[in-house]
Amino acid sequence: MTSKKELQIAYSLAIILFIVGVLSYAFAAFSAKAPELPIRLMFKGVAGKVLFDHKIHTEDAGYAISCGECHHHPGEDEAAIRACGDCHNFLEKTEALPPACAECHEVDEIEDSEVIKRVDAFHSQCIGCHKENEAGPEKCSSCHVM
Amino acid sequence: MSNQKKFIVSHAPFWHDGSSITERSYNTMIAALPAVLFGIFQYGLPAVAVVSFSVSCAIFWELAMNFVTKRSLTIGDGNAALIGLLFAMLVPATLPWWAVLTGTFVAVIIGKQIFGGIGSNAFNPVVLAIAILMVSWKDLFDFDEALLNYDLEFTMLYPIAALKHFGTASIESFTAGDLLLGKQTGGIGATFGLGLIIGGIYLIIRGFIRWEICLTFLFAVFATALVFNLYDNVRFAGPVFHILTGYTLIGAFFLATEDSSSPVNFIPMLIFGVGAGVLTVLIRNIGAHVDGVIYAILVMNLLNPVLDKIRPKAIGKVG
Repeated sequence: MTSKKELQIAYSLAIILFIVGVLSYAFAAFSAKAPELPIRLMFKGVAGKVLFDHKIHTEDAGYAISCGECHHHPGEDEAAIRACGDCHNFLEKTEALPPACAECHEVDEIEDSEVIKRVDAFHSQCIGCHKENEAGPEKCSSCHVM
Repeated sequence: MSNQKKFIVSHAPFWHDGSSITERSYNTMIAALPAVLFGIFQYGLPAVAVVSFSVSCAIFWELAMNFVTKRSLTIGDGNAALIGLLFAMLVPATLPWWAVLTGTFVAVIIGKQIFGGIGSNAFNPVVLAIAILMVSWKDLFDFDEALLNYDLEFTMLYPIAALKHFGTASIESFTAGDLLLGKQTGGIGATFGLGLIIGGIYLIIRGFIRWEICLTFLFAVFATALVFNLYDNVRFAGPVFHILTGYTLIGAFFLATEDSSSPVNFIPMLIFGVGAGVLTVLIRNIGAHVDGVIYAILVMNLLNPVLDKIRPKAIGKVG
């Protein structure tokens, strides 16, 4: 048996924390926004997830890789850079050309086969760069969580 | 016979020493506060949301069950609030509200109330809830994925996941001092080793938890990890790493010691602690799961009734 005082404490705790919890969830959801530049990205695929540290690749204190070295479009305009999946994942879902391509290209200018799958783009980009610079993992199990 | 201690039992009425479940629950919550506050400091508002919502939901589930089963109200003993707090300590700060609601339901209703309430539960309610959620929504407990947008001035990798997937080379940046001071990702209240140890010592000194279980658990984790490490130090991390990462410390002081699901006699307590510790490292090093604490404690909870058959010899004789 619990005393009246103990029950009052439990009721107060439940009500106050419920209000704080709901408000915190609501405020966190309302104010949540992705960081201006991604910090880390989790790529998911059948071969297992890959955690990509975007920040360490781009920061001057890290590998200082410029945006254009990976995001090949559109030229030098860093503000207009698109996420990789905007183009490279699009064909797998819709079998139509991604609208992002049309921002710079005419539709008949691009062959379907030119927009390689995202997984192929990442593999060629990551492994190619790691090999070229003789730095970073090259084996599957060094990046993929298997 | 003359050397044997004699027990003198007086007749009723007896004097109650003042200890109660309520006192025990709120003291355990106070002991957990350093680790919880550290988690809130690290992860901010989302952690406040998870902790607050979890405690309140756990109390509401217990209250609902009290009404449904038409039994006297038990929320005043603080055990439901404690379940809610411990649940929140084990999950990532970004856990969605529906998972908190589901998790506390599993802990309070399935883990405790359907067994008959406090003292009757076969498994630690919090551990059972985490295990069911881990099986049902595996990605929710991928701390690397859950905390993608946090940048906290230390290596933002869940240490034991990194060890599991990429070997000891991936955990070289973690020092024992950093891990002890909470410079690692993980559950809201499971990463601040120093806070958990202080809380654990407080609970031992006050007599709310049994040192036999937590110390043998930690000893077994240390010894088993050391054996693996000596066998192959490239594949298996050292014992200190295993003590300071994952759910080891919170498991030792706040989970394995739960009253109803752990033994009461001395030898069984030692076996319980050692068993949970050995299983933890076996699951981590050669099992399929990243952390072994949850499943190790569940298995030992299962063995608890058998272990408690090992009893001290009864004094006196019949007939």
